[in-house]
Amino acid sequence: MAVIHPTGVPEPDQGRAPFEGDSRRPAQSYWNESWERLRANRIGVAAGVVILILALIAIAAPLFSQLLTHFDPTRQHLVDNFRPPGHPYLLGTDELGRDTLTRLIYGGRVTLGVAALTVALSLTVGTTVGLLAGYYGRWIDDILMRIVDVFLAIPAIFLFILMSILFRPNAITLAAIIASVGWGGVARLVRGEVLSVKQRDFILAARSIGARDLRLIIFHMLPNVLPVLIVAASLGVGQIILIEAALDFLGLGIQPPTASWGNMLTNAESYFFHSSWLVVFPGITIFVTVLASNIFGNAVRDAFDPRLKQTA
Amino acid sequence: MTQPLLEVSDLRTVFATKEGDVKAVDGVSFHIEAGETLGIVGESGSGKSVTALSLMRLQRPGRIIGGKVMFKGRDLAKASEAEMREIRGQEIAMIFQDPMTSLNPVFRTGWQVSEPLFLHQGMNKAKAMAAAVGFLGKVGIPAPATRARDYPHQYSGGMRQRAMIAMGLTTAPPVLIADEPTTALDVTIQAQILDLLRNVNREFGTATILITHNLGVVAGMCERVMVMYAGKVVESGPTRDVFAHPKHPYTWSLLRSIPRLDDDVHEPLQAIDGLPPSLVDLPKGCAFHPRCPFQVDRCSRDLPPLNLVGETQLAACWVTQSGTELKRV
Repeated sequence: MAVIHPTGVPEPDQGRAPFEGDSRRPAQSYWNESWERLRANRIGVAAGVVILILALIAIAAPLFSQLLTHFDPTRQHLVDNFRPPGHPYLLGTDELGRDTLTRLIYGGRVTLGVAALTVALSLTVGTTVGLLAGYYGRWIDDILMRIVDVFLAIPAIFLFILMSILFRPNAITLAAIIASVGWGGVARLVRGEVLSVKQRDFILAARSIGARDLRLIIFHMLPNVLPVLIVAASLGVGQIILIEAALDFLGLGIQPPTASWGNMLTNAESYFFHSSWLVVFPGITIFVTVLASNIFGNAVRDAFDPRLKQTA
Repeated sequence: MTQPLLEVSDLRTVFATKEGDVKAVDGVSFHIEAGETLGIVGESGSGKSVTALSLMRLQRPGRIIGGKVMFKGRDLAKASEAEMREIRGQEIAMIFQDPMTSLNPVFRTGWQVSEPLFLHQGMNKAKAMAAAVGFLGKVGIPAPATRARDYPHQYSGGMRQRAMIAMGLTTAPPVLIADEPTTALDVTIQAQILDLLRNVNREFGTATILITHNLGVVAGMCERVMVMYAGKVVESGPTRDVFAHPKHPYTWSLLRSIPRLDDDVHEPLQAIDGLPPSLVDLPKGCAFHPRCPFQVDRCSRDLPPLNLVGETQLAACWVTQSGTELKRV
């Protein structure tokens, strides 16, 4: 097969040495470049590491209770109630003599698990709805977006209260309840992106080579929407942890004796003056986690959309 | 006479607007033989792009409300969406105007070039990629194996258009539609891309429909030309005859408005008076009559049909159909 060379006008690249050498910068994908930018952000990386450590501790909770604290999170030691931090209760005990550190570690499982599940749920539902509404437009868009409007119009706190009464929440139902409010925003965000991506020529070009709708949506649209999603997800985690803690604190979320950071605070407020550690440690844990999530979220946003950083 | 490769008859595509249906393509008929190059010229909004998109049924949000697109014994205007997907990319490929935006920024170029093979010939990724590298080389991308791994933003405009052409060629489609393939490129790159298209036409025997508003491109590339105005074909015929003796005043005016090297530099450029008509509110009779220097009474009353004028050309004009020659007034 002969190489087709343009006749007449000389090809500018032909005279040069072949490009195969190492002199060229290797092909950088958008993801690589974003990752590089994220790695260069030290505070962001530190925040990410904090979250990672917290997550690892939560995952390995049984290991910690076996080797470090030697307590069970729900086991009561009534003779040892209100013990201040020390030995053997490193962070003290509550009114029922349960070890605070063990409960914090197990609570992290619940809280972080609920947060992760909530993000996953609202992203999945929101992205699907946003992609369908934006891609198909017309009546599908109208119907889906009106549903989103309805969900966004419901006052969240009343919905939470109602839902908690209807379903005794466990980690999974609680995540579903919080996500039922969160997906609407994601759907709007994704729909907006899809509307702009849809107009671009490469979508028409992909259609012109015979790609079907599903392939266009998943292969050609979704990757172009993904950066927005990643940013939304990482900025949303902190919010969700706070909502979850608030619901637990109000008794609308995870029910005792299962420990969560939020419900550990519920009873603790009554004992604040004589056993302040019961408030301080879960409080600090929530604070640090949310702070780290937000810092990391911002770092992710800066990494994925560097233009935003310059204008902000 | 044998059946032409692609035969379009009385194609009508409309777009719904608040002011009513806009007839973007209004009764267009033409045909193209295997290996032939047909030029479609006309100004912006004359319906040439919508005609091309309608052939592949990509005219959304427009609607095809009539006519036939006969290809290999099938009417594409009535084919199912599944049948059309088989046609697109496999039988008819399309190259778009702006190469900067017709490649997906998140995928490696080679992967995109190989996508038609993956879609239509069930090739696995490695095989399709190897074939894509071959085609990138054929369209003149240097070091194609390395370049295939690059992202579109690492390509220049000309290279991207070459990549688009490579993508169109992978399945060796009998018909290639190039919708203003050089409009977004600078002049030297334009020449290279046109040469490439010409060579593709020769080597692969691909029938090429070249849509452009550049008459020079048509003169250099196309055996036959079709001139569109306000959604209709106003003249068609062999390029040489149309350029030498235009039989429609619009073609005549277009040709006259091209500056020539031997023109007196002090002469003002010849432009066509007036503006293209609004497709929502076309003038009665011939759509070109308000701008036509040759118009007669009948032009504002009756729509002229597309009839044979002279030996080889079709023209939709009362003046030339009555035997009058178009001459400088």
